[in-house]
Formats: sequence, structure tokens, C-alpha cells
Amino acid sequence: MSVKRCMRSYLSQPSFPRQKNVFVKKENTRFQGGFYLPDAYPLQFCSIIEDISSDGTPEMFQFKVPDQKVAHIIVNLCPTEPWALPNWVILKHKTPSFLNMLKEIKTNYFPGAVLSLAINEGECRTVEDAKKFASNEDWMRVFPLYAKYPQDDPVLLLKVILGIEVSFGQDTKSLGVLILDAQTVSAIYESCILRNKVDSRLIVLSGTGLKENEIVNVQLGTSIEKILKNKVKETGKYRVFINGPLRGNEITDLSQKINWSVNNIVVLEEKNRKVMFPMIKSDELILTTNLLGELRRCVYCNYCDNICPVDLEPALYYHSYTRGEKHKARLYNLEKCIECGLCSFICPSKLELLHIIKECKALDKQHEKIT
Amino acid sequence: MKKLLKPVEPVLEKGLDTVGSFIHTHPKINFLFGALFGAFDGLLRSARETTHTQPFIRNNYDVKRFMGAVLVALVAGWVLPAMYFYGWQGVVSKLLVSFIIGIFVVDVIWAIIAREEHISEGGFVSCLFIPAILPPQAPLWLVGLGAALAIIFRNILGGVGNNLVNPALFSRLFLTICFPALLVTGYQTPFVGIPDLHTFRYGLDAVTHATPFTAFKTGGETTSYLSLLLGTANGSMGETCRLALILSGLWLIKMRVANWRIPASYLGSVLILSVFFSLILGRTVAPPLFQLLSGGLILGAFFMATDPITATYNQTAKWIFGAGCGLITVLIRNFTTLPEGVMYSILLMNLLAIPIQSLMVKIRYRV
Repeated sequence: MSVKRCMRSYLSQPSFPRQKNVFVKKENTRFQGGFYLPDAYPLQFCSIIEDISSDGTPEMFQFKVPDQKVAHIIVNLCPTEPWALPNWVILKHKTPSFLNMLKEIKTNYFPGAVLSLAINEGECRTVEDAKKFASNEDWMRVFPLYAKYPQDDPVLLLKVILGIEVSFGQDTKSLGVLILDAQTVSAIYESCILRNKVDSRLIVLSGTGLKENEIVNVQLGTSIEKILKNKVKETGKYRVFINGPLRGNEITDLSQKINWSVNNIVVLEEKNRKVMFPMIKSDELILTTNLLGELRRCVYCNYCDNICPVDLEPALYYHSYTRGEKHKARLYNLEKCIECGLCSFICPSKLELLHIIKECKALDKQHEKIT
Repeated sequence: MKKLLKPVEPVLEKGLDTVGSFIHTHPKINFLFGALFGAFDGLLRSARETTHTQPFIRNNYDVKRFMGAVLVALVAGWVLPAMYFYGWQGVVSKLLVSFIIGIFVVDVIWAIIAREEHISEGGFVSCLFIPAILPPQAPLWLVGLGAALAIIFRNILGGVGNNLVNPALFSRLFLTICFPALLVTGYQTPFVGIPDLHTFRYGLDAVTHATPFTAFKTGGETTSYLSLLLGTANGSMGETCRLALILSGLWLIKMRVANWRIPASYLGSVLILSVFFSLILGRTVAPPLFQLLSGGLILGAFFMATDPITATYNQTAKWIFGAGCGLITVLIRNFTTLPEGVMYSILLMNLLAIPIQSLMVKIRYRV
């Protein structure tokens, strides 16, 4: 099965993000900064979906209608990370049938709610189908978005779609907003409307440590070890991350079982050795856990504040931190940080900016407890 | 390319490993050559370190490429044109003196006194600037002294990442005060035409002429804009070929090494202010285009003022920084007896960058 995707075509793959650059036309986005990840990490997936069953009794997917009144539902069809589940796997190029599923869920469970669809603007056919569908339904709105990381973060989604400012980590349900992804929508439909049992989910396996990037259908409760069996390259050491290497966590205990919150597993080569001629062999180093440079002092290059999606200046936190004035960091809008990790990602001095931000935030919480 | 390098790789890797372990087991050799080897090794091989905290992948862009881009731009911007205009021998000998005195003598002595582990490789850019901002006929000892002063100032102020002012410009300021005669004369006329062996090596023999700005101040004559742009008018060694400097400066901006706000605001404010003063005061003020193209303005705007460490961090403050440089340059050039104001303006704004930065932070975060 060949998968036709209406992707943005790029003449070249720049090693650097296109934003705030005088020579590039401004993109139609509503936030500054961010990073278009598929440029740097183009991933191709095998189109056959393998089933993996668990050894024990599988867990069931259960959907609980929130206690609060839901005024808005945002369906996120705009995954910005290349290792996240692509839309075509769930939509199967039949957008109207997916939208009919949504309609049925809405009429049965959330009759008064307004539904917003955030769709990757690069997927033209999906956007067109959705717009056609929405023209007949007054409760549905379509938002084509440029899939720049971290556009799909709840804070930015709510800001772009509803114009509401929320703080990082705040529960959106208390505001009457429910954010769902495509897979959860289809699972709700299966379990609540069709009354079928849902005990498995699709998980994307990708990364340089694997023989092949693929999508697998895994029963909930399967251990990561079993999923990765016979799929990892034998040569070299590898590290395993769930929900992406940018925002996700490293898994050291491979017997951990997966649940509904696991969207993808990324296996990266460790590459803790020197590689000759890194300039011409960047493909060997990219998407590994290598630092790709040496640790230096901050040179005030402004990369971190150019890329910051919420318009902060992470270098200020670094300077407060190195001067031993962690408490000063919170003067500079520290609470606005959505912990996307792009500042650490881009830093040419390889400073652990996100780690510093988290430490300063932790201090903030301690301080609140004391006072 | 990959196939070509493949047979060399294991040999080179083994050699580098052996040299590396030899250097690290001998502290004295490590002290002198550790940094040099580290820089060379870093150029040929990637780092060994891996990530330990979120995010677990990093972008393929580091400070080394940052510095490398500046070096490449400087070589294309001034070294190659200067070799044509003033003969290769003078340029190469000055560069050698600058590097040897600056890095291998002064920096090493400093490292011994300060008991540092090894010398840092950050002095390359400063030492590459020194011959560029001195007259073409500056004696070699002056270049060496300039490099020594630049490295001393850089180290006193805390080394790479902590510079208060641009060390190369600060050392030129010192030389201007100590040896005013040497910095006012010695502006060799550039060679134009197809070079023969002699001129290719030495340039034109000892023909000196006043710089365009001095000529304007004394006689009111302006040099043709084309000769200023192409570099056939005289001036300091690295500042004459403005076309190459503009092109390499734009490349630096495109590589996002230099921040475009500073050259834009610097050159823009010089243009606006010189138009303003010309309209009010007429011919006593140099014409706007002449001001833009003469002196070290292009070199200063694209390469000196954009040094991110000495400029402000805040992006809005960068506009103020650039505009301040422009204002001081125009004022010094037109209303003082000094022939050139770029050096003073950048040094002064380097110092003012600190209060501007803290003021902008206070305004922005209301603290």
C-alpha cells in the first residue's frame, strides 16, 4: 500500500530552523519561534501494521466523561513530532467517516459543545474534506495549522484556537475544554458508541536504534521488552524513550508495561564515541543521543529566545542560575515556560537550559510552600 | 567524498587516539598543546559526550561552527582582498606575527601565571582582527604588540564569554594613544591592475596617501564611491574592500552567526543621521553615502559590533545598541578633530550595552 501524503516540499533540508529570518517569507503561524522537526528528522514508516499481544490479561480502554461541563472539544490532528502517530493511520484517507464518528460522539455525550479541529495544513485533502464537512455543521470549526513543534502543546493550542491563556500544566478540563487526539476519538467511538472492547492501541516505533521504523498495534499491558524484541539493531548500545526524545522520558527498565498514554517509542543509538569527519557524516550522528558539540560558556547568540515558542529569554535563567541566584529566575516570566525543550535542543554551547528551568521552577514551588 | 576518506579513517583515528593519550598523560605537553590538539581533534571528530537530561536529542550546531564561520568570513572579507591589494608577503607575515605573539607567547604566559589547565582557542578571532585594523605599513612589532595587548585584555576581562569590550578594538585604542604617529601615517596606496611577481609579493612600494576621511577633513575632497566600494581607496588593511566585507557579512547573517539587527540599525542610523546633518549644515558634513562607505564602518558594523558577547542580549536592545553606535560614529566623524569614530563608538557602546540590557530587562519584565 503506497501512502500518498500531501507533504510540504522543500528544496533542501536546512540544518537550522526557518524562523525570524529576514530572507524567508513569514509563515502563517500565530506564534513566533518553534521548530519544524520533519525538516531535520524525516522519518519513513513501513506501511504494514503488526499486531503484538500481551502475555497477561490486557487492560481495557475506558473513557470517563468529565464531571465538569465541556464547552469546547479540540481534536488534535496536527502531530508536530515526526515520531508521533501520523494522521493517515487513523483516518485511513476517509476523513468524512472519521468526522461522522466525531459527530456521533458529540451528539451522544457533549450536546452543547463546540468542536474545533486542528489539522496539519500540509495535509491538504484532510483540510478540504474537513472544511466541506464543517460547512454543513455549525458546531464544528476547522483550523489548519503549520505543524511546527510545539504547536500541539495544550497551551499553544488553546491560545491559537480559543484565544485563552493557560499556564503550563493546568488542567484544561476545569476550563471546560477537552483535548483529544485522533486515536482517542476512534477508541471512544469503538468503546462507547459501538460497545466493542478496546484493549490495544497503535504505537509508533522509530529511531536510529531500530532496523526499521514501523507502526504496531499493541495490547495494553505489553512490556516494552516484548515490543522491541527482534526489532533493535544488534550493533552498538541504544537508549529507549517513550513519547519522543524531546518531551518524553528515558526508559531504563524495559519490563515496564505500556498503557494508553504511550503514543510512541523512540529507540536511539547512544553514540558515546567519536565519529570521524562529522561534517560529511552528519546522517550518522543525527537522531542519536550524542551532544553534537562541546560544552561551552553562553555566548549570547540569541538562538534560545529566537526559537522559544512562548517568547521567553532562557539565557537570563542560565545567568541567574550560574550566579547562584536561582530565585531571580522567576522574575523573568518563568511560569510561562511550557518545557518544550527547544532551548536546550538548539543551544550551540550545549547548555542544559531545560534542566536549569526545571530546577528554578522547583525552587519556586518550595518557596510557595514555605510562605 | 565519503568513499575517498574511508581508507584514511582508521589510520587517522588511531593516530589521533595515540597523540591524544600521549598529550593527556604528559601534563606539560598538555598545557602547551592541549588546546591546539583539542581544536584540531574537534574539527576532525565529533564529541563523545551524550545527553543526560531532557531533551535527549540536540541540534547539529555548536560554537565551533560559530567561530569557524567567523574565521571563514574574515578570510574572505579581508585577508584575500588585502593579499591582492597590498601583496601577500606583508599580510601573511603580519598574520603570523599576530598569531604567534598573541596565542603562543602571551596566552601561554598568561596560562602559566593564572595556572590554567591549557590555553583556550578563543584568541584566533581577535588575532585575525589585529592586522586588519592597523595601517598596511604598520611595522611588525606594532602588530605583535597589538595582538599581545588584545589577548591580555581578553584574559583580564575574563576570557571568551565574559568580554566587556571588544579586545581587538581595545588594543587598537591603546596603540592609538601610545603611537599616534604610526596610526595616522602608513596608509599605503592599494595596488590596482594585473599583478606581476613583485607587486604580488610586496604590493606598491611605499606610496602612502591620506585616508579618504582625512582627505575630506583637510581638503574637503571626496573619493569616488566605486573605489571605496571595491577597495582601491586606501585605509586600514582590512577595511578597504567593502564589497567583500559586505558579502561575507551578509553570509554571516544568513548563517545566523551575526544578528541582522545590529548592522541594520548601525548602518541605518549612520545614513539617517548623516542625511539629517547634511540637510542642516550642508557641505561641512560629509555626504551620507561617503560616510557609509568610508573608514572602518562596514568592517565594524558587520564584524565588530555584532560580536554577541559584547553586544546586548535582548533583541530590542540590539536596535538601541546599533543606533547608539551610529550616533557616536557620526558625531565623532563630523564634529571632532578625530579622523575616524567607529572604534570609539563600538567601544563606548560595548560599555553602555550593560546598562541598556538591564534597563530593557527591567522594562520588559517590570522588575
